[in-house]
Amino acid sequence: MAKVGVYVCHCGTNIAGVIDVEAVRAHAETLPDVAVARKDLFMCSDSGQEMIKQDIRAGLVDRVVVAACTPRTHEPIFRAACEAAGLNKYLFEMANIRDQDSWVHGQDHSGATEKAKKLMASAVGKAARLHPLEDKYVDVTKAALVVGGGVGGIFSALELANMGFTTYLVEKEPSIGGVMAMLDKTFPTNDCSACILTPVMVDAGNHPNIKLMTYSEVEEVEGYIGNFDVKIRRKQTYIDWHKCTGCGACAEVCLEQTKGKIKDEFNLGLSARGAAYIHFPQAVPKKAVIDAANCLNCRGHKFGEEPRVSKKTGEPMIAPCQEACPADAINRSLSHDPNGRIEEIKVGSIVVATGYQVMDKGWFKEMAPDSPNVITALQLERLISATGPTGGKLLRPSDNEKPHTMTFVSCVGSRDEKFHTHCSRVCCMYMIKQARLLKEKYPDLSINMHFIDVRTAGKDYDEYYVGARKMGVNIFKGKVGGLEMLPGDKLRVLAYDMESATPIEYESDLVILATAIELPESAKKLAQTLGLQFCGSNFFRELHPKLGPVETSTRGIFLAGCCQGPKDIPDTVSQAKGAAAAAAVPLAQGKVKIEPILSEVHTEKCSGCGICVPLCPYDAISLKIHGDRPRAEIDMTQCHGCGVCTSACPSGAIVLHGYEDDQIYAQIAALTA
Amino acid sequence: MPALIIENDKIKEAVQTIIDLGGDGILKCVQCGACSAVCPGVKAGFPVLCRLLIRKILNGQMEETIEEVSTWGCQSCNRCTEICPQGVRPQEVVFAYRRYQANDLALSTSAFGPQMSLYQVGHAVTTEATAENRKKVGLDPVPPTALNNAQAQKEIQTLLDNSPMADLGIF
Ligand SMILES: Cc1cc2nc3c(=O)[nH]c(=O)nc-3n(C[C@H](O)[C@H](O)[C@H](O)COP(=O)(O)OP(=O)(O)OC[C@H]3O[C@@H](n4cnc5c(N)ncnc54)[C@H](O)[C@@H]3O)c2cc1C
Ligand code: SF4
Ligand code: SF4
Ligand code: SF4
Ligand code: SF4
Repeated sequence: MAKVGVYVCHCGTNIAGVIDVEAVRAHAETLPDVAVARKDLFMCSDSGQEMIKQDIRAGLVDRVVVAACTPRTHEPIFRAACEAAGLNKYLFEMANIRDQDSWVHGQDHSGATEKAKKLMASAVGKAARLHPLEDKYVDVTKAALVVGGGVGGIFSALELANMGFTTYLVEKEPSIGGVMAMLDKTFPTNDCSACILTPVMVDAGNHPNIKLMTYSEVEEVEGYIGNFDVKIRRKQTYIDWHKCTGCGACAEVCLEQTKGKIKDEFNLGLSARGAAYIHFPQAVPKKAVIDAANCLNCRGHKFGEEPRVSKKTGEPMIAPCQEACPADAINRSLSHDPNGRIEEIKVGSIVVATGYQVMDKGWFKEMAPDSPNVITALQLERLISATGPTGGKLLRPSDNEKPHTMTFVSCVGSRDEKFHTHCSRVCCMYMIKQARLLKEKYPDLSINMHFIDVRTAGKDYDEYYVGARKMGVNIFKGKVGGLEMLPGDKLRVLAYDMESATPIEYESDLVILATAIELPESAKKLAQTLGLQFCGSNFFRELHPKLGPVETSTRGIFLAGCCQGPKDIPDTVSQAKGAAAAAAVPLAQGKVKIEPILSEVHTEKCSGCGICVPLCPYDAISLKIHGDRPRAEIDMTQCHGCGVCTSACPSGAIVLHGYEDDQIYAQIAALTA
Repeated sequence: MPALIIENDKIKEAVQTIIDLGGDGILKCVQCGACSAVCPGVKAGFPVLCRLLIRKILNGQMEETIEEVSTWGCQSCNRCTEICPQGVRPQEVVFAYRRYQANDLALSTSAFGPQMSLYQVGHAVTTEATAENRKKVGLDPVPPTALNNAQAQKEIQTLLDNSPMADLGIF
């Protein structure tokens, strides 16, 4: 007969403030199979754990039940205590009398005590019938994948690579750098974004352990922690990157051909690029691509066709881009597969750092989005950047004149139940930054900033904000209600000063909208590929908001940067390094543990009906020939122990270890006694 | 000026009164001020509309504010409702407050005339000029609305007699 030890925890007043702990302990003594029943103020403390260990070592107990807070955080602790005393750790069972009892029945002390007795008794019933189980281990591939080459992805990749692991850095654009590469200067130190980011980009590009895969996208991911099989689509560049030196000659002639009709994404439409283009001057890798959808096939020279021969000169009429390339990297006569090619890699862990997008101004009809002088804050970054379309001069888009009065509008699409209820977290700070930079450069410029309230809760951030006030930037509390287009390309600003409780109305030459940070639509596809979940604000969901900020519910997949929620560069880099450290753990260990709470098919009972196969949410079940007939088989590395197949099998052929029939019936019996 | 004393019971009662009278979004207000930025009433010099009215109610200052005329400056344009990022529907709050004021006969004097006219002839506002203009273009001086329809006027009176308006004793 089993000798169950029962340990009831007070959890300070968390449990004992509601539940009569002594009554629960005394009740345990009356149950069959219970050998000892004790209580402690904090069972998870050293002394509490020692109590369990001593009883095991003394041979008093060979099954352990702890009635306490929650298995979510504490099951591993007590399992380890059992193991340390020489007991198989799967002979442990927890009764959750805090989350499921004292916390929810705080007003009903006697009812909660009765419920605690039942929860404890059901755990005892199960524990008495538990069998020892063994952890299983599988080998891992010692390489990592980082998806997204913004500042977050770059730092994760460098960290992993410096630890000695081969790291694939996949970026969908032709160059790494992300949004940070587009910024002018960065708060709170005002150092130039390119000056601090470019060397890091170059490091990533040259690192012997980093395999840079830009202009590429993750197509398919299979497998599990330690052993992911990933298919990556290398998009068609139409230019031989082995030969391309990044001289930009093709881009230059192409811009002449396309006559400025293609908007440059890097400058957010404030300037033009060619169909052949280099992402931006500091790109890593610095290689050109041809955007086939916009290519004019100049002189009739289509991809995959020989150039036509000129009737006048008798010479072949090759496209100007091909003609201009001194490195011979463009050969339009080759037939290129427009889908690019698929490359397969194997990795042990994955960091997702796919970043964010800012909302388009078109969503906000009350903010005169049709005016060229209403721009997003990210556009302003390009407009004041030395590498931007105006070489860093503040000129308003409608007439290239210097504005005299400009306006910043906060919370456009953020903290708004019509769009996003979350705070985008960086806008207050970057608006103050932009205002400060402009005020330094143009002291006469009149700058009005309108906030619901100013949020500057980072290290040195509030000092930065107070500094802006000292520089003479006008700061008003009160959300802007609307903008109206006026003749002369001006805008009437309708605002309100909360402090004086009076409306504000004035004319402004240029208006900057701090539009919300959100996950791009394309992230949905990636989430499906990787099995990621979304949180309430539609960013990727981390395992636990406090204790698992870089992990996801899929083991082996980690998160970094703005794809997990809006954050600034310091926070992105911290999280990126944290994600890299977490992703390195399985790689460093060389093998990963698989908990044995998994389902197993008893082949002799299986009728081969196949009902379980489509039911498994993790695709872990397949039919395999045993003898002469098909039988279900469960891949232990894929099974999550959810139990769906177990309950569905008409032949009762599947056992979920740790949740066997007699164990569950014993629990039900105790709960309904 | 005496300091505002924050009394929880007063605040609770104020919020409940406004919710019961139709301003049920009031607790969602974060005091951003966007509503007041677009309110024509505020711009015309009635400061206690939308945001500031809500603030005063949330401070429990119902009695202190009862004679406020700003609320009668609301044009029912609903721009506040359109712009509010929290779904407060400030115009409903303004109207709920007006109902509260009306129940205590704290109506703007300008409101009495139109109310009586509505009761008697079925229109809140009628002008002499209308009749002249209609005659000029060959129309009946009295338009074919309740103004020209005794039965409709009777129905309006019955409706008003059976509404809470009757309790105010204006008619
Ligand atoms: C106007 C503005 C000004 C700012 N100024 C500052 C500042 O001064 N200081 C500061 O600290 N912060 C600032 N920020 C915030 C800063 O931009 C972010 O903190 C930072 O860029 C986040 O980096 P990230 O790597 O998470 O995301 P990103 O920079 O968005 O990088 C993500 C990368 O992933 C790539 N990607 C996306 N999806 C895929 C996919 N499916 N496959 C492959 N690749 C993919 C993207 O192309 C991109 O390169 C500012 C933000 C804005 C909007
Ligand atoms: S053919 Fe070459 S130059 Fe002409 S549009 Fe295409 S990429 Fe540009
Ligand atoms: S449902 Fe049961 S009987 Fe059918 S294949 Fe699966 S295990 Fe076998
Ligand atoms: S509906 Fe009334 S309170 Fe609201 S904006 Fe219009 S006038 Fe102002
Ligand atoms: S716009 Fe809405 S949230 Fe803002 S002050 Fe007005 S009612 Fe409150």
